[in-house]
Amino acid sequence: MDSPEQKITKTVSRVDASKESMANSRQVIGINFCGPTPLMWRADDLKSVRELGIIGTLVGSLARQPRQNTRLGRPLELLPEEGRLMADMGRAAVIPDSTNEDPEVNPEQVEQYHAGLENSFQEQGALALEDRKTTLMRVITEKHNENSGSQEDSDGAVRDRLEALAHGFSFPRTAMAVQLCTARAGLSHCPEVRRFLAADWPIPRDERSETRFRVFRDLRRQGFYLTSAGKFGGDYLVYPGDPLRFHAYFIVVCISMDESMPLCDVLAIARLGSNVKKTVLLCSSGGSQEDDGEEVVYTSLQWSGMV
Amino acid sequence: MSELTKKTDEDVIEKPLPPNWILQHPMYQHLMNLDVGDSAQVHAAFLVYLDLAEVRQWKEVSGVGCSELRLVLLEGREKEGEPTQMVLPLPVHRGLSHRSVRSVLARGSPMLLCVVASDSSLVYQRMCDGLLTPDPPVGIQDQGRRQHRKRRQQH
Repeated sequence: MDSPEQKITKTVSRVDASKESMANSRQVIGINFCGPTPLMWRADDLKSVRELGIIGTLVGSLARQPRQNTRLGRPLELLPEEGRLMADMGRAAVIPDSTNEDPEVNPEQVEQYHAGLENSFQEQGALALEDRKTTLMRVITEKHNENSGSQEDSDGAVRDRLEALAHGFSFPRTAMAVQLCTARAGLSHCPEVRRFLAADWPIPRDERSETRFRVFRDLRRQGFYLTSAGKFGGDYLVYPGDPLRFHAYFIVVCISMDESMPLCDVLAIARLGSNVKKTVLLCSSGGSQEDDGEEVVYTSLQWSGMV
Repeated sequence: MSELTKKTDEDVIEKPLPPNWILQHPMYQHLMNLDVGDSAQVHAAFLVYLDLAEVRQWKEVSGVGCSELRLVLLEGREKEGEPTQMVLPLPVHRGLSHRSVRSVLARGSPMLLCVVASDSSLVYQRMCDGLLTPDPPVGIQDQGRRQHRKRRQQH
């Protein structure tokens, strides 16, 4: 693994918090790929991308409530268009798949880890011994106060008992506490890694993905929030604000300008739109293969009111 | 064009129509003579014409040829004095491209797509340019704490 494992504790004042959020607004976010699907794991990343209008879908189970799917947890699955938009803005970097990594690739790190464990073991052993001694002293002192025997004898007896303890004490390996890190420094901490990874975004080059992406980017630019619309048979659901606060206004269907739509399908999706009080938008990217400058055209299917 | 509606009460007993009355209808012949659409599309256009002119009583319904799309369009006003609307009649088995829709919209009038099924039933679908915000759902009220109270009682 490239990124260092550190436990980060910061106490932030209010001023620092706002500075941190400004810094976060430019941070690069690591994205893991599972096949062609972009996933995000870190809770801080999920929060910061929501401010960019990237909503995604939670697809994991919650650690403490795995046997239900009313409330899902991380990872956040992104639409391919969301990931690509982030990559275009320079805010995303692909984290390479680590399962294929050679386990022998970094023997130095492995050695370091074992040395660290050994140190921790010794420390813990010493602390455990001290702890035992303290307990023993306390027990002896209590007994001495009860029995009130001769001073000389009891001091000698105490010393003998402490020595016996020191000799006979052994701290078993199985009793050692091992720290597991639950937080990880993000990519903001490793600019070299970030630069290296940022170039690696996989871009599909077929017309349909291209149309979908252009429509996504254009609607996002207009300030709408988009999620996937599988439930409605469309490509996206378009919200005027955060999906947690609003109902969707539009169901987007992305088509090419010359693709022939069966009329039954047009009528079916228009009817569905009326029933759920959303306007169906037929969207096409009007231009050629240039990156920018061509516009997206929108046609709204409206309830005709003609019975 | 609406010769049928000019009939007076004396003419209630009509002579039976010949089986090919559609082919002889002046409007149908006018649409064919525009020489753009194929016969299936012209037939569909004629059925839509009858619906608009006779059933819905639209005014000034006329046929317009669109050579770039090779289709017959219909133009008319829903009521006297209202702006004209453009109707695109299509038989149901046809496909429709977004480009065709855009070129009809480009004419500037409000547009209706009318799909004609094999049993001659008609469905109208309005299309417009841009993002049209839907009507909000009716009957939305703030339920206040009622929902929470109900749930607590169930436990």
